[in-house]
Amino acid sequence: MAKIIEPPPKTERQAPPTRQVKRSVRRLESKSKVDGSAEYIHNLTLPGMLYGKIARSSIPHGKILSIDPGAALALEGVYAVITGDDIRRLIPDPYYGPAFHDQPILALDKVRYAGEPVAVALAKDPHVAEEAADLIAVEYEPLEAVFDEVQAAKPGAPIIHDVLKPATTFPDLKHLQGRSGTNVALSAHVRRGDLAQAFKESDYVFEQTFRNGKVIHAPLEPYVTVGEMAGPDGLTIHTASQSPSFVRSEISRLLGWPENRVRVRTAFLGGGFGGKLYIKLEALVAACTLLVRKPVRIALTMEEQFYTITKHGATVRLKTGVRKDGRIVAREVEVWWNGGAYADIGPRVTQKSGLTSSGPYDIENISIESHAVYTNEPPAGALRGFGISQVVWAYESQADVIARALNIDPIDFRRRNILREGRPHATGMPMTDIDIDAILDRLAERMEWNRPFDRGSATIRRGRGIAIGIKSCVAPTTSVAMVNIYGDGSCGICSSTVDMGQGSDTAMAQIAAEILGISTESIRVVHPDTDVTPYDMATLGSRSTYHMGNAVRRAAEDARAQLLRMAATVLKTGEGDLECRDGVIAAHCGARVTFRDLMVARFAMQAGNIIGIGSFIPPYEKPDHETGQSRQITPFWMLGGAGAEIEVDTETGRIHVVKLVNVGDAGSPINPDIVERQLIGAGTMQFGFTVFEEMIFNEGQVVNASFADYKIPGMLDVPDQLSGEMVEVPHRQGPFGAKGVGETGMFCVSPAIGNALYDAVEVRITEMPLTPERVLRALRRAQNRPLGSD
Amino acid sequence: MKSFDLAEPATIEEAVALLDPEDKSVRAIAGGTALMLMMKTRLFQPTRLVSLRRLNGDLRGLRVNQDGGLRIGAMTSLAQLEYSHLVASTYPVLSRALGTLSNIRIRNVATLGGHLAHGDPHMDLPPILMTLGAKVSAVSPRGRRWVDICDLFTGYYETSLIKDELITSVEIAGQPPGVYCWYEKFTARSADDWPTVGVAVRYIVDSGVIRDPRVAVSAATERPMRSAAAEAALTNAPLAPHVLSKAADAAADELEPIADLHGTASYKREMVRVHVRRALEKAAQWRR
Repeated sequence: MAKIIEPPPKTERQAPPTRQVKRSVRRLESKSKVDGSAEYIHNLTLPGMLYGKIARSSIPHGKILSIDPGAALALEGVYAVITGDDIRRLIPDPYYGPAFHDQPILALDKVRYAGEPVAVALAKDPHVAEEAADLIAVEYEPLEAVFDEVQAAKPGAPIIHDVLKPATTFPDLKHLQGRSGTNVALSAHVRRGDLAQAFKESDYVFEQTFRNGKVIHAPLEPYVTVGEMAGPDGLTIHTASQSPSFVRSEISRLLGWPENRVRVRTAFLGGGFGGKLYIKLEALVAACTLLVRKPVRIALTMEEQFYTITKHGATVRLKTGVRKDGRIVAREVEVWWNGGAYADIGPRVTQKSGLTSSGPYDIENISIESHAVYTNEPPAGALRGFGISQVVWAYESQADVIARALNIDPIDFRRRNILREGRPHATGMPMTDIDIDAILDRLAERMEWNRPFDRGSATIRRGRGIAIGIKSCVAPTTSVAMVNIYGDGSCGICSSTVDMGQGSDTAMAQIAAEILGISTESIRVVHPDTDVTPYDMATLGSRSTYHMGNAVRRAAEDARAQLLRMAATVLKTGEGDLECRDGVIAAHCGARVTFRDLMVARFAMQAGNIIGIGSFIPPYEKPDHETGQSRQITPFWMLGGAGAEIEVDTETGRIHVVKLVNVGDAGSPINPDIVERQLIGAGTMQFGFTVFEEMIFNEGQVVNASFADYKIPGMLDVPDQLSGEMVEVPHRQGPFGAKGVGETGMFCVSPAIGNALYDAVEVRITEMPLTPERVLRALRRAQNRPLGSD
Repeated sequence: MKSFDLAEPATIEEAVALLDPEDKSVRAIAGGTALMLMMKTRLFQPTRLVSLRRLNGDLRGLRVNQDGGLRIGAMTSLAQLEYSHLVASTYPVLSRALGTLSNIRIRNVATLGGHLAHGDPHMDLPPILMTLGAKVSAVSPRGRRWVDICDLFTGYYETSLIKDELITSVEIAGQPPGVYCWYEKFTARSADDWPTVGVAVRYIVDSGVIRDPRVAVSAATERPMRSAAAEAALTNAPLAPHVLSKAADAAADELEPIADLHGTASYKREMVRVHVRRALEKAAQWRR
């Protein structure tokens, strides 16, 4: 079957040639990725380097009685075996985490999930290290474990952490409190209006519970970190990380060092998807490097990814009061997030995705309770969308249920309820720079919604469904950028935004090029190196284009101002008479001067630098702890919609997606092609999560921890027609009107397919993924001839 | 991974001499696509691997036998079979199945001998060979013997091969003109996944009546196996929809599916029913 994975033809593809933004510039690194010269930390080896292999817990919860490295140390070629106690000698309080300092660098006293790192074997030969890791003998006393997020949140569940120590690193997580005697790390609330009264006045009340299983990021470059000493008292960490600035501050904190003794650098990432955030291997590699005073590399296998970080499983209970006219008047949401054994960034997922879990709807009466829950499974953290796809699965499946119950067209039902410009979001912030109607219009158009639709016959039934979703962008966060004009007039951008395939190098270069009037392709983007590139919160949450884009814009404006001042002197004219264009500074009278000539004029030769600095932190108002209300909860809103047309084989339960349309509000896009491919890429990823990806657990053990047994979609699996569609709603504070769009394509795919499934065969499945067996079982139950249970 | 010895014999005699009938940690390795997965998960830790990659001659390539069937060397890669005109013209059912077998990277290195000797019930070719009629030549220090493909698979990852026996070739029977063949594969996850169920069928139609039917099922059960009940339901019955459905029901009732990551036993039983019927139907459509 031929696949159509290309954007439909565009009328306005090229900006005027003088513009650098809004132009589909080819990615700056394209060639290097094709010819293999692009740098990845995965390819880094250092002279004298030791390989570390991790010995992992075999049980989900238990006390460590003893660790015997004897047999491992006896193996020829083993340099050292490092345990939690060794690390404690170097770092007295070796717990890390962005929300809670709850995760030990290596397990101390107890283990909290099967697969948790317990010890590391170091050797010059990675195979020797691996064999040695297998020989490390660990004795455990098993403790009762808990895996389900709802069970784990109940009183009486086995307690996974005796005491919780908030990290207080990030301003949006400052309110986290130390707790004990519970597995609930955090409960976030949103309250608005009079819920009880509104339910009383509702004509209909719908209540359902929706579930999401766990899936993983599956970057093709697995987690990898290499550490080396930098002189007697410094440390360099080369790491495939999305958050080099955080790594530096967290490693410094652990070591009790000033940040300037820790250097963290990254290269291109072979995918990140939120997995390579905060601390993954960096603390372990830093500790090992300092203990042995030699370069140490730990590179996980594909299989070990399954024991490192996952997406949150979630249970979402949704109760919605609706009037006869199709208006939603009340919504009560309760979400339990399965955070696994360590909080990682789960509390922020809980809070941020919790606060939008009532959907992109204008509802007067709302109550949201969102709970971050510890369980004895591998830790869950950020995964492209940051919890949003879990809550959209719930509220958009239910939107379909309600629309059908009221016999209202699904698009029309949403139009009756969506938030519009100026109306308050559930958190109280008035909506700005949004246009959900435009998203619905585009969906209706691309899905040919008003044309007759063939629902199939016999064993192949056809259906279609839509969904819309909303996300806030994390706040408040800081980005700092530097634009450097060198002696010959060429330009470099220093930014700690990590290009992990999303095209940020190209976008930042476009922004600076637009300001400086030079070509995007002539700019060099310096990759994150905390000794060189300024602070950035992290490459996450679709924040880079907006935050770093603004910082780069300001840095370029700063550099331009300096250049114009210099040019005004050289050309003996006013600054107001000058502009940067076509690679020179031109006066209205026609006089021109190149950047190089300015440098020569200033420094008497081809020398010196002009350095522009830009810093950006958007306004933010901390939400009220009890009500979640805030006048400024997010710098911008991300809005998306998806439409799916599917065929269901009613004899096997298999879903075949014929067409998947993914619509995202990109603001005014910096690079239209990259935006569309982001939407297509995210749509493909969430498609896999929807139809078959799932980590399967048995008593806390991952049963399918390999890519032989955990399948991600390939080209033969993706929808026959797959498109990414931009809706352009320029944002007033975005750089040239842009918004972030890296996650938008994840939001709506699952409920669009789930709703199409109902449209085709009238069964509603509330738990993801929609595997053939799950679909067939539901179909057969509906037909009163259920399949046997096993 | 523990270190192990790697032997690369140049002749089949040397190869079988390096194997050990008593020691499970000594194994032959051909393409290695399955064995490496087991080694990565430490399900298998070898002390010695006997690589067959230097073996040439009769162990590679295809030729036509006297009965019109094919003799295929055990070290022939699945990709070579996939692209072979001889296979395409002799057994189109095999060519089509090969195009869906895992992915091209696997097919480029996996060999026919390894595919059979591994004994994994999820493999695509065993049920097809069971319906076409095939035998494998097994060589050991004691000489050569022929094993009917239907007697090769004895259990879950178990074969009737002795640990120092190697498959050297496979001989597939020639087919009468006008034979009906189909392989129906169902994957519950990605297209390149191992199947939840694979069904091969082969039958002859003589004046509207089914003769010499063969139905074999893989992946759903602990080993690939023929369904005697389905074959009985088809033998000498008219080629009619209700007959094919009855045969499918008979297969589903007769076989004992086992649960794995691809489906529960009851789901697989249902998939056997659906796909046996579909395979029988498509075999007939394919002829027309």
